[in-house]
Amino acid sequence: MQNNIDGLVLKVDGLSIAFGGLKAVDNLSFDIKENEVFGLIGPNGAGKTTVFNCITQFYKPNSGDILFKDRNGSVHNLLDKNVHDIIKLGLVRTFQNVELIRELSIIDNVLIGAHVDFKSNILDQALRLPRARKEEKKYRAEAMRVLSILGIEDRADAPAGGQPYGVLKKVEFARALMSNPRLIILDEPAAGLNDVETIELSKLIRRLRDELNCSILLVEHDMRLVMEVCDRICAISFGKFLAVGTPKEIKENKDVQVAYLGIEVDENA
Amino acid sequence: MKKIIKNPYLHFVLLGLILALVPTLAKMGLMKTSYLTTLGGTFIFAIAALGLNILLGYSGLISLGTAGFMGFAAYLSAYFTADLALPFELSIILAVVIPTLLGILVGLVSLKIEGIYLAIATLAVSEILKKTFEEFDFFTNGFSGKTAQYPTLLGTFELDRAGTYYFVVAILILVMLLTYNLMNGRLGRALNAMRGSEAASQAMGVNLLNHRLIAFALATMYAAIAGVLYVHFVKYSYPTIWSLNLSLNFLAMIVIGGLRSIYGTLLGAFIVFAVPDLLLKQVPFFSDLSYVLNGILIIVVIIFYPNGLVHMFTDLKRFIVKLVKGEK
Amino acid sequence: MSTFIQVILRSLETGSIYALAALSIIIIFRTSNIVNFSQGAVAMFNTFVVTYLFNTMGINIWLAALGGIVSAILIGILIDLVVIRHTKKVHPEAKQIITLGMIMIVLGIAPLIFGVDPLRLPRLIEQGNLSILGADISYNGIFNILFGLLVMGGLFVILQKTKIGLAIRSTASNEHTAKLMGVPTKTVTMGAWAVAGVLGVISGVMTAPMTSVTLHIMDDVQLNALIAVVLGGFQTFYGPVVGAYIIGVGRNLLLYYGSSVWGGQILYILILVFLVFRPHGLFGKKIIKKV
Repeated sequence: MQNNIDGLVLKVDGLSIAFGGLKAVDNLSFDIKENEVFGLIGPNGAGKTTVFNCITQFYKPNSGDILFKDRNGSVHNLLDKNVHDIIKLGLVRTFQNVELIRELSIIDNVLIGAHVDFKSNILDQALRLPRARKEEKKYRAEAMRVLSILGIEDRADAPAGGQPYGVLKKVEFARALMSNPRLIILDEPAAGLNDVETIELSKLIRRLRDELNCSILLVEHDMRLVMEVCDRICAISFGKFLAVGTPKEIKENKDVQVAYLGIEVDENA
Repeated sequence: MKKIIKNPYLHFVLLGLILALVPTLAKMGLMKTSYLTTLGGTFIFAIAALGLNILLGYSGLISLGTAGFMGFAAYLSAYFTADLALPFELSIILAVVIPTLLGILVGLVSLKIEGIYLAIATLAVSEILKKTFEEFDFFTNGFSGKTAQYPTLLGTFELDRAGTYYFVVAILILVMLLTYNLMNGRLGRALNAMRGSEAASQAMGVNLLNHRLIAFALATMYAAIAGVLYVHFVKYSYPTIWSLNLSLNFLAMIVIGGLRSIYGTLLGAFIVFAVPDLLLKQVPFFSDLSYVLNGILIIVVIIFYPNGLVHMFTDLKRFIVKLVKGEK
Repeated sequence: MSTFIQVILRSLETGSIYALAALSIIIIFRTSNIVNFSQGAVAMFNTFVVTYLFNTMGINIWLAALGGIVSAILIGILIDLVVIRHTKKVHPEAKQIITLGMIMIVLGIAPLIFGVDPLRLPRLIEQGNLSILGADISYNGIFNILFGLLVMGGLFVILQKTKIGLAIRSTASNEHTAKLMGVPTKTVTMGAWAVAGVLGVISGVMTAPMTSVTLHIMDDVQLNALIAVVLGGFQTFYGPVVGAYIIGVGRNLLLYYGSSVWGGQILYILILVFLVFRPHGLFGKKIIKKV
């Protein structure tokens, strides 16, 4: 499958998935360019997280294609991949409710992000052969570097459990960055953050795009953040495509306004 | 200097040396010789419990089949050495590999069945094994029990009780060391991730099927090693030994000692197996009640130290530091 | 044909025993979130009480059984007051181990009181056989089947139709919310342990005449009851009961028509295979975690 996706990193085409007859995502198409921050917005229950889960193969869509271009420029249809193979292509995600391992130290949590990069086998690890030791050292240094980009390197050895929410969000970020991704999917990165932290986050997102040379797809309820950091936005409602465009275009789009307004009216009723 | 003192490998070796002193102390009359059997048994059970800790503590998969697999290996090794007259080294390899393959098969089931359902499914496997111990008497000698001899290493060195004890200690330390290495590296992190969040671990590229199989393979392998050591140290095996209660005892060891703690597992094994024999039975009135007191001890420990006794030491240290600082 | 009916009748009797034990386990699981591995041990102890009252003190068997029920209630309440109430903060795996501690206590105390020799306990109804379509069943067997159904039926009516039942069900579905709604969850839990104890001793008294009263009299029942709970699923009260009857019937059919040695094990393998396809038992549903 060699569709033409020049200049794109991800192309979602005619994506549909239904749960027990209910169409959660209905014939949705959008694409993400290289080095782009792309926002996916929609009222509650619009199916945003479902779209993420389909892209990362947690759910298998009923129909549609999801094409992804890896670092070497070859194109993969993600539907053919196992959920644990996605990260190898350079596509990594974070979770709405931070999914970290409380009992592990922060640096160990970050190191999980390098899981697929390790080459040493079980025997190497059991006996701590030079190969395993060298690898461990290399990725530990890498993890420290990523943690220092995020400014939390001083907490590296503290257990993840009990850290403030803002720190946990950063640890998840760091874990995602360990895989040197082409595309990072952020599921509500600002949820639970205070204003200062949110501003910091928007700076960080842009820095990642510019410095690490990758694209970012995010779902977010904080409209200020979305409008500020996104290059383009796709709006959906009840799993259906509404509009795509620059933040300004989306703000002025009639359908989008109705979708949001409609929900508000519903809530007041 | 400080770095050397903190070196974990040095700790393991030191522990091994201390444990190896026991036969000498017994010879000098400072300790009853029967303690040797109790302690050796405790270490053997600790090996199986370490395997269960990898499974439950690190990977979050619960099994009540430990006893069945351990017994399987015990019978295999007794059969290979006594009936088939295979060399000890070959028989230990076979007696570990065969149950491990069976363990991997159970691991396959674990991809579908989880939690308490998995616990009782593994219990059913263990009971099926136990029934074979009872019925296949050409191989297990049925209810009369199967006997085995102390190991003969390399076909020439015939070990006696103390010799086998040293052998058990050496294997224990080796297993602790390998476990430490594995659980503090890539595999340990992946298993932890699998336990903590299946979704995140998959997103980070952890293949759940592979890792569940690895966890089950390791746990069964440890249980099998323990089974082989058991039959050659205690020198017999009956079907009734390998019961649900023994599996529950392994669970008790790791929960009491501390999930995900290597030293905690050893501590837990000591409390569950050695305390009744070494301490409680020595006090005249308590001797009849040793089992009861141990039950009470287990309940009390869990209520007051739900995360494991191994945390008692850190708490104690903190308490002392506080006390010293307070006085200043 | 008559052998077949004979096998089925026998199965219903063992099914009753397993079902009572399974119900006992699920009641504790649903109200205390503990898989009670000590269910069998406690039932064994109370069966010893009945045997002691009958053999040593010469009390009428029915009154002795009643004595066993009283002892089961008292021990159940004691377990809740002394142990379970203090385990609210203990994580699930550790809670199971508490029941292991209880097994050790019971196994340690029982021989001190009742001695180490196997004892005999006769049937409640000593004599009499009924012939149904050429198959024989003792009055006691019929009594066991009917009494088991009656007890369980009664419990289900209480669970579904009464205020107490509502309290138990709400505690089972969400203890915290139930507490906020004014349900006396502590009393419910205590009652559950008492009821579970009673179900245990009934199954013990039914089992005793078929074998002898020893420390391990309930091991087999407990094992099959645990597997019955998994087969029926942990999410309903009736699932485990259905599972228990399936095991009772399936086991006897396999023992009789399959292999008299391996029948039970074949059944376990079939159940394992079944679980691979329905991982949460007959009546359980998978709870999907959203990410």
